[in-house]
Amino acid sequence: MALCKLIASFSQSATDSSHYQSRKLSIDEINLVSSYYQQNGNNSAVTGGIGTEKLNDISNNLDIRLFMFDRKKRKNIFDVEIGIDHYTSASSDKIDLKANSSASYADTRIYPSVNWSREHEQKGTTIGAGLSFSNEFDYQSKGINLLFAKKTADKNGEFTAKLQAYLDQVSLVTPTELRSGGGFGEHEDYGTANRNTFAASLSYTQIINTRLQVAFLADLIQQNGYLGLPFHRVYFTDGSVHQENLPDSRLKIPLGFRANYFAGDRLIIRSYYRFYTDNWGISAHTADLELPVKINPFFSISPFYRFTHQKGTRYFAPYEVHKATETYYTSNYDLSSFNSHFMGAGFRWSPVKGVFGIAHLQSMELRYGHYNRSTGLQSNIVSLNLRYK
Amino acid sequence: MPEYKRRERLMGNQFEFTIVVDAPNHAPALLDLAVQEIARIEALLTTYAPTSQTNLINQQAGLQPVAVDAELFQLIQRANTISRITNGAFDLSYGSIDKRLWNFDTQMDALPDLATAKKMVRLIDYRNIVLDEANQTVFLKHKGMRIGFGGIGKGYAAACAKNVLIKAGVQNGIVNASGDLCTWGYQENGQAWTIGIAHPDDRNKAFSGMHISGLAVATSGNYEKFAMIAGKKYSHTIDPKTGLPIQGTKSVTVIANNAELADALTTPIAVMGIKAGLALVEQLPNVACIIIDDCNQMYTSSNIKCA
Repeated sequence: MALCKLIASFSQSATDSSHYQSRKLSIDEINLVSSYYQQNGNNSAVTGGIGTEKLNDISNNLDIRLFMFDRKKRKNIFDVEIGIDHYTSASSDKIDLKANSSASYADTRIYPSVNWSREHEQKGTTIGAGLSFSNEFDYQSKGINLLFAKKTADKNGEFTAKLQAYLDQVSLVTPTELRSGGGFGEHEDYGTANRNTFAASLSYTQIINTRLQVAFLADLIQQNGYLGLPFHRVYFTDGSVHQENLPDSRLKIPLGFRANYFAGDRLIIRSYYRFYTDNWGISAHTADLELPVKINPFFSISPFYRFTHQKGTRYFAPYEVHKATETYYTSNYDLSSFNSHFMGAGFRWSPVKGVFGIAHLQSMELRYGHYNRSTGLQSNIVSLNLRYK
Repeated sequence: MPEYKRRERLMGNQFEFTIVVDAPNHAPALLDLAVQEIARIEALLTTYAPTSQTNLINQQAGLQPVAVDAELFQLIQRANTISRITNGAFDLSYGSIDKRLWNFDTQMDALPDLATAKKMVRLIDYRNIVLDEANQTVFLKHKGMRIGFGGIGKGYAAACAKNVLIKAGVQNGIVNASGDLCTWGYQENGQAWTIGIAHPDDRNKAFSGMHISGLAVATSGNYEKFAMIAGKKYSHTIDPKTGLPIQGTKSVTVIANNAELADALTTPIAVMGIKAGLALVEQLPNVACIIIDDCNQMYTSSNIKCA
């Protein structure tokens, strides 16, 4: 018989022919049952002491969540998310050197996504797929992903494979002095270029014991198309200015290892190491340590430190070092050799009654980080994360 | 921490013990402890062995009080409390049913008349189980009366095995007595235990589930065992008040802190019916229940949410 009629309700059914009437129990009767059974199966509680302690709370404080299986006993999870964030950035202003009218540049990014996954509990497998869209002033992205995960027989290990493809369009927002014609309008019609990214991500997580969990991560990322940023300038030895020019294909391989250790109820040790290499000649080592400490149930502090050592791409040279004879050139210091340090702390506050007494505002996290790169870049980053439920 | 399992036929039922411990060398001995505990309870409660304390009580029905162990005395005391709050829908003296008059099985095509049915259950009345606390004796008032632990024994045994394992230092596990189970701690992957709720038409299939720890779950159901009489479905469970088979509910699942309580409540809720059964559960602290009726409609107490 189909179970499609299975719906949850709490109402009288016409189908039972019982002569038993609903009856209000006396406090004594409830007390008696509670005193026998309240203490969670402890036999000493079962030894029959008649309820002498007063039962103040007779509310039902169990809270059970049932999940439904479909006919093949699979769990379906369907997620639709729409994210909107608004960012401001000082550096974006410098695209238009001559038209620096606002104090800083602001843009709004909208990125709806639809994700679906299905878990087969008996086989320990999950399959999933998703679509995403992201739209910024100068960047449009369409993404598709497929996911497969399988747990080991003892369910302590899980292997996940994810295939992702992003088909992006970059608006060619050229530095003003390199624009042809005299368009000075803020949103003139720029050209666009395609950028396609295909990524295969493999990960394996293993629960060593209740305190220690480790994960191995490996990715293979192939990018094709226009991979530079149109508004990055390069100055040659002769003083001439050009748009950066980079190969139209890039293969990136990051390999990572993560270990989380739960040292008691108050402290978690999160560690992460990543090796990165690509065919532009970049190789990098990153080590990260974060120590979330729970001060009390509502407040925690997470100090963190991240160190990166990077050997830069062969296409990089600083200001006025590139020669006109080179095919590829960039002066973007993100692609140069450097050591960097990033340290700071997050402060997370999640009071029972909601942040500032706002019930829907579940938690608030303030993160501060200081970033210091051997190329001379220093920055301070403050982010505020609000979780709304 | 790895998981260790053992299956064993005990008390006429399939028991399965699952423990998650960091002691591979000790796991078999720990599982032995649990099996021994069930065997001990079986010896106390069985009505098959003539020398069990339970059988001594039955043999002396209408004759004299029998002194019993504190453990058995208190179990009967608790069972009688369940009888009180369920208006007798749960009754330890259910075994007094007179099967010579009418023995319900799935081949039945007619019901007994009301008078015969009533006569069948004349000896069932928990108020005639006389408990003398000072002398720790049990006396069944009438000759022919019998008590049995079919409706509470499996749950009690599961709770006891759990306690023995906890005392031995086992922090995570499940004792599953053919569907009456209690859980504590966590699975080997650190998550709460996943417990499926049997499909009312096929006990080997789950139609839903939940993630729990520290809770006990018991289910009683007809499954395929019902009789069609005059176009109506009847369960093999007899209402101890009327002597007639019950109808309307296909399965009852109770979730509680304690396996004995969960086990003991499933049958009376089925007997009392959906309305009176749910009204009872709503009044009991830390008890939840799921009822599935003949039309596969699900009813739950208000502390159960469907995800």
